[in-house]
Amino acid sequence: MKTDVLIIGGGPAGLSAAIETASRGLDVTIVDEASQLGGQLNQQTQVLRPLPSVYEPMRGFELANKLIEQIKGFNVRLLLNHRVVGFYADGSAGITDEENVFPVKAKKIIVASGAAEKAVAFPKWTMPGIMTIGAAQTLINRDFVMPGKEAVIVGSSDFAMETAIQLMDVGIRVKAIIEKQSGALAKEQEKASELSKNGIPFYFNSFIKEARGNGQVEQIDIELPDEVITLSVDLVCMDGGRAPILDVFYQLGCSFGFQEELGGWVPQYNHTLQTGREDVYLAGNAAGISTQGPLLLTGMIAGISVSEELQAISPAEANEMREALWKELGLLEDKEVYSGRIKHLENFTSPLLKDQFIS
Amino acid sequence: METNYETIVIGGGVVGSGIAYHLSERYKEGVLVLDKKYPMSGTSGSTQAWVWVHNKTPSWYAEFSMYSAELYPYLSKKIGDVEYKRTGGLSPFFNESDREKAQKLAESYRKIGIKIKVLSREEVLEKEPYMNPEVAGATYSSIDGNVNPFRLIDMYMRAAKRNGVRYSTYNRVTEIRQVNGKYLVVSDKGAFECKNLILAGGTWSREIGDMLGVKIPVNQLRGQILVSEPLKPFLNFTISGLRQANNGEVLMGYSMEEAGFNRATTLDVIQETANMAVRYVPGLRKAKIVRAFSGIRAMPEDGFPILGNVPGYENLYVAATHSGVTLSPLIGTLITELIMDGETSIPIDRYSLSRFG
Repeated sequence: MKTDVLIIGGGPAGLSAAIETASRGLDVTIVDEASQLGGQLNQQTQVLRPLPSVYEPMRGFELANKLIEQIKGFNVRLLLNHRVVGFYADGSAGITDEENVFPVKAKKIIVASGAAEKAVAFPKWTMPGIMTIGAAQTLINRDFVMPGKEAVIVGSSDFAMETAIQLMDVGIRVKAIIEKQSGALAKEQEKASELSKNGIPFYFNSFIKEARGNGQVEQIDIELPDEVITLSVDLVCMDGGRAPILDVFYQLGCSFGFQEELGGWVPQYNHTLQTGREDVYLAGNAAGISTQGPLLLTGMIAGISVSEELQAISPAEANEMREALWKELGLLEDKEVYSGRIKHLENFTSPLLKDQFIS
Repeated sequence: METNYETIVIGGGVVGSGIAYHLSERYKEGVLVLDKKYPMSGTSGSTQAWVWVHNKTPSWYAEFSMYSAELYPYLSKKIGDVEYKRTGGLSPFFNESDREKAQKLAESYRKIGIKIKVLSREEVLEKEPYMNPEVAGATYSSIDGNVNPFRLIDMYMRAAKRNGVRYSTYNRVTEIRQVNGKYLVVSDKGAFECKNLILAGGTWSREIGDMLGVKIPVNQLRGQILVSEPLKPFLNFTISGLRQANNGEVLMGYSMEEAGFNRATTLDVIQETANMAVRYVPGLRKAKIVRAFSGIRAMPEDGFPILGNVPGYENLYVAATHSGVTLSPLIGTLITELIMDGETSIPIDRYSLSRFG
């Protein structure tokens, strides 16, 4: 199979890159391991703001539908329930439907592989009933499955607070928020105060000492500053933050830098979102952990850059659009994340890790 | 760090660390091992680690490998458990026409005392029930086996360090000079002086030899290996192409490519490897692959080890070989004898660098 643009990942960034390229007449293929497009947006019931100026604020799953609607207007080849498992010697991507593997030769690749949640390890953290906050959210909103009845949340980020509220909304009793730091990390204070108003205790400077249970979690010991308390729970949601998913970049031989504000190891890229490999671009959380607005913008920038490379748009036009999108990104994105991103751009020519396959 | 040593070993892989350990058993002078990265980050950490004797040709090379394999049980007693398992080795064939070749191989080995059986289909399936029933037969040798390469090199290093050997890692050698009858080894972290210099740079042997104007004709061969999820123990033998590790993972690989120092994996070879594995053991079709990796192996131009003194250079030794895991106990022993006693307990003239002219 041949295509102009292969987009790995059909979440918000991959979809916005697909819209930019397909709308200019390029032959675009999206591969995603899920059975539907939209990525994590599908289980996000919270209102997303700020979004790029072309979108009014809306809920996550509504944004997914809107992006998918736009894609349908163009001729985009969808490989859903497919995964990229490696690359052939001639540079073709090897894509599997879990039965066979077939090569896809692309002129340009945009990797929008997203982020993976990190766990918070404590003794017996692998027991059933202990999961990341994203997993709990997916069970509730996408699969309509109750992940438990009595829960604690480990972490107090915006995402953790949001998930705690969603757990309460479906009738799960949230017994405590446990935070290692001395205060809540959420930037949107009203979410934390809404939880407090509902009588949910926040335990600061605290952590889970151990989980116990017969075949699944039944009890946890929480180490508070001056005592250890035991709670009966059947659900522990942990927020260890997120990190870019890098496997495909490794296989492609891209170079990497380390930027704490972007989630740790991140592929190197320049202002066109081109990686250390000139035929490979990236977008979304893979380019640094951010919020939905910036994810869409990076997808648009990557899509415009690839369109320019494949001569579907003039360099002058591409530059003008890119400039405007970067400006908007600067306004939309969290200040710390954005300054990390700018630092990361500056390190493009001096990556920490390159040629990892050359002995 | 001390800059003056009696002996320096360049390369801390299975060959270099093996030499350093064996030397440290008898040798009380200072020994330094220099490694460009860290032991196991090169060939020694990317191998199926067979301890493999049979179907090495010609038979004198198999004999050499056998002596080394026989040292393994004693090595474990000395340095600790390296998960050496003498499983026996099976080399299956699928065409009846290959049986005659196998018989000839077995015959030539019999002359030097290596017992190799040529098995019928029934015998193969009795030994290895999960083998493809379409197998025509296999050559079988009881001395073959495998080892955990990470434990092996780690134990070599620990034992060597206990005996006073120093290691300097992430330290690339950039230049070697002869000064007043000694060697000056210039590295990223400073210069070191020594009387005896041992070149055990594996895949980089040619590059290290060049620093002294010595031609060490070693090339690079890439091998790609697949790793399955941990499966119940079901493979009894080391099969030429795959083996099951202690934790149940099956390692599969038999590929050889010329790719210089490029350690990437490619789907082309991964698919061939998977097909090979499924042809040998059809049940593997159901197993999940968790990982693929590749390793660069050293391969001397004629395939045989390069061992011993470097002709025309005082106190300069070379140890560069394919099958370093199989040969390391023997090479460590022989190079130690050469340095300590000036002669070796089994002749190694055949393996001299001088054969390349």
